[in-house]
Amino acid sequence: MSLNAKRIIVGLLSFLFLVTLIIVAWVEGLQERVGFDPLPVLSGDNRPCFTCHQEKTPGIAAQWADGMHAKVGVGCYDCHLAEKGDLDAWHHEGKLISTLVTPKDCGRCHKDISAEFQKSHHAKAGQILGSLDNVLGEIVEGPAAAHAGCQQCHGSKIAFQKDDRGEIKKDKNGKPLLEPTTWPNTGIGRLNHDGSIGTCSACHSRHRFSIEMARRPDNCGKCHLGPDHPQKEIYEESKHGIAFVTADQQGLMKMSEAEWVVGETYNSAPTCATCHVSATKNQPASHNPGARITWTLRPVVSKRQENWEDKKRAMVDVCGNCHAPDWIAGHYTQYDNAVNLYNDKFAKPAKRIMDALKKAKLVTATPFDDKIEWTYFYLWHHEGRRARMGASMMAPDYTQWHGFFEVAERFYQELIPEARELAHNHPQVEAVIAQVLEMEPHRWKKEMSQAELERVRSFYKQRYGQGEGAHPPAGTPPAQTPPPAETPPAAEPAEPTPQPTDHQPAPAKPSEV
Amino acid sequence: MTAMEWVKSRFPVDQQSIILRLQEPVPNHLKRWWWCLGGMPAYLFIIQVITGVILAFYYVPEPSRAYESVARISHEIPLGWWVRSLHKWSANLMIVTVILHTMRVFFTGAFRAPRELNWIFGALLLIITLVFGFTGYSLVYEQLAYWGATVATNLADTVPLVGTYIARFIRGGSEIGPDTLTRFFVFHIGILPTLVLVFLSLHILMVRTHGVTELHFEDEDPKEKQTFRFYPDHILTELMIGVGLLIAISAVAVIWPPELSEKANPLVTPAHIKPEWYFYFTFRWLKIAGLNAAVLTLGLASAIFVFWPFADKALTRVFKRDLTVPLGIVAVLGIFALTIWEAMAH
Repeated sequence: MSLNAKRIIVGLLSFLFLVTLIIVAWVEGLQERVGFDPLPVLSGDNRPCFTCHQEKTPGIAAQWADGMHAKVGVGCYDCHLAEKGDLDAWHHEGKLISTLVTPKDCGRCHKDISAEFQKSHHAKAGQILGSLDNVLGEIVEGPAAAHAGCQQCHGSKIAFQKDDRGEIKKDKNGKPLLEPTTWPNTGIGRLNHDGSIGTCSACHSRHRFSIEMARRPDNCGKCHLGPDHPQKEIYEESKHGIAFVTADQQGLMKMSEAEWVVGETYNSAPTCATCHVSATKNQPASHNPGARITWTLRPVVSKRQENWEDKKRAMVDVCGNCHAPDWIAGHYTQYDNAVNLYNDKFAKPAKRIMDALKKAKLVTATPFDDKIEWTYFYLWHHEGRRARMGASMMAPDYTQWHGFFEVAERFYQELIPEARELAHNHPQVEAVIAQVLEMEPHRWKKEMSQAELERVRSFYKQRYGQGEGAHPPAGTPPAQTPPPAETPPAAEPAEPTPQPTDHQPAPAKPSEV
Repeated sequence: MTAMEWVKSRFPVDQQSIILRLQEPVPNHLKRWWWCLGGMPAYLFIIQVITGVILAFYYVPEPSRAYESVARISHEIPLGWWVRSLHKWSANLMIVTVILHTMRVFFTGAFRAPRELNWIFGALLLIITLVFGFTGYSLVYEQLAYWGATVATNLADTVPLVGTYIARFIRGGSEIGPDTLTRFFVFHIGILPTLVLVFLSLHILMVRTHGVTELHFEDEDPKEKQTFRFYPDHILTELMIGVGLLIAISAVAVIWPPELSEKANPLVTPAHIKPEWYFYFTFRWLKIAGLNAAVLTLGLASAIFVFWPFADKALTRVFKRDLTVPLGIVAVLGIFALTIWEAMAH
């Protein structure tokens, strides 16, 4: 081959290589950028909003720019657009917009999720008008407490300021004026002016809409905490919550992943979302957190949820990622036993006594005007829930000391004595109380066996070298009725009475009723 | 003083003499395409260096991030998939061409005196190329690569006397751990390229010292001039091959970009461990002969391979005949058979 021929071939091949590079560039253009963190996209409609609000409300603009909506090009106007005739619609810089973004608006893109959420128990949280809680907030305490308290979790009923003719008031720009006692509000069961219920921003805080934030226990803690439903504190006390803190610090939770599947994406700990909302390998994520719950733990007497067997199967599927079947079954036995104990020993008898008092008109029809109604409310609404919820999520201290111990104290030390006082000279009600105390679980008050007393005494003797455990602790109120004659005598007072401490349960003297 | 004069006065290199040296005559058989295999590995090595440097910009040699960084190269970095694909295909082709070049030298007896040292350098380059392939494949930190590395380092463990120390040195501990990947990385981008440069320089120096072995074919015209110029005649041939190779590698790189299979999981032993194709024969031999026997025989075979010029001389003296070709055929067929066997197995 001549030198020239070689040169021409090299030239031709080089040209061919150029063609190859062009093909490579074309294929590069077809590549999907998986995991690539894209820059925010500002579409034409949203650019003026963003530019101006970067000055006016820089925090909101920056939050949006950091969030996923910005990355996929969903901007201000896409969510805040209004249709003609919307109650809250107004013209702003040439566009018809609304201040409130409701599940109906979110549903324009997230159709199925919006629909599922609006059918959930969460979305119904605003329908508490007839509840005792509402009477407490609105009337007993006062409207301002309800607006700034109850409704910030349960949701307000969105209202507008009206003029004398009943027309919606507007400001100088034509913006409809919302009733300030109902807005701002991110209560999860908000009753919106457009007929939709709830608000997505209760969990998916605007304007970043961080999926990680929604999966963090703190997010649920805005409402699920405190004396009457301390789910967040209960979770924190449980092994689940303890594991979460460390796993989170070690970066094992991967909560910002788009697909967050227990057993696949992460294994180290569950959050509230893991068990109640998020996906497993066998079931998709659900925006109905009631879909895996077997009992309702809120009312006076706990009831099984509708289709609770299916719901239990869904929860057991979650548990199964980390626990063996006998472990899960054992937990459910402990949990069910605790709920049944509360129901049968305390809740139903207390309710029976309260019903008898009401029937005998010893308690008025007005809620919370009698002392015993407060006692009863504490019993089921605070302590009773703590005991049940503590057992449901494996928090021993909430089940026992914040729960059953206080339930028992409230029942024996307050409810029964107060009921007795009211029932004085009302044989029918007195009979009800007597029947309750004749129930097997309450018989210990009448008579504790010698063997049981001896067991307590010997425990204190062995453990602390003191044999007086069966004595009432110092400061125990005196018995309200004299002990029956057949009550066995208390322990010999030969040794000093032990002072109760946190570690020394001091059983009551078996003669206090 | 012109700029050129300034440079020449400080760096006295004569352009003419360079061209003169490049124009040294090479034997006529190099005009035949099949006899140009020696240049191809060097050419592919340059591609490997360039693509390797680009990959090293993004690769993280740390167990918790290695796989993710390869995924990032493949899916996020612009053209990353192409560079990785070029690196992989060029590596495979480099192994193929080195093996073919070695076979050519072996069967034509080009290793004989005075070129024994050059054979040794070449043989070491083949072994280094294979180690290159092994360490590079392990860096991806896929499940199979991880377990391949586990098997390979366990092999080293069984070498008598020094095996444990060698295995510990390679792994950076008694087991494959966080330091192993870093070590493989340092081997792959530091130690092995340096060794290649050293031996390649020696290899080329030897070729220049002794000249290319002259081969003659029956269809040659004995009256024709026996040599032609290296530059520009042979350089242009190599350029043609080079650009053709680039096109070919780019094409396969686009058509079959390397996948990323399951991430390495030290807790789950895969049902079927398989190394890369160029280790199939050793893997199959391992299964047949058992660990200790396989390590001993492979070690012995490697030693014979590296020092073949001397083994050849001794064999000829003993058997009074040239055994290179028949032994070579047996070895190639044996390796080929073991490779096919392993490829067919699960």
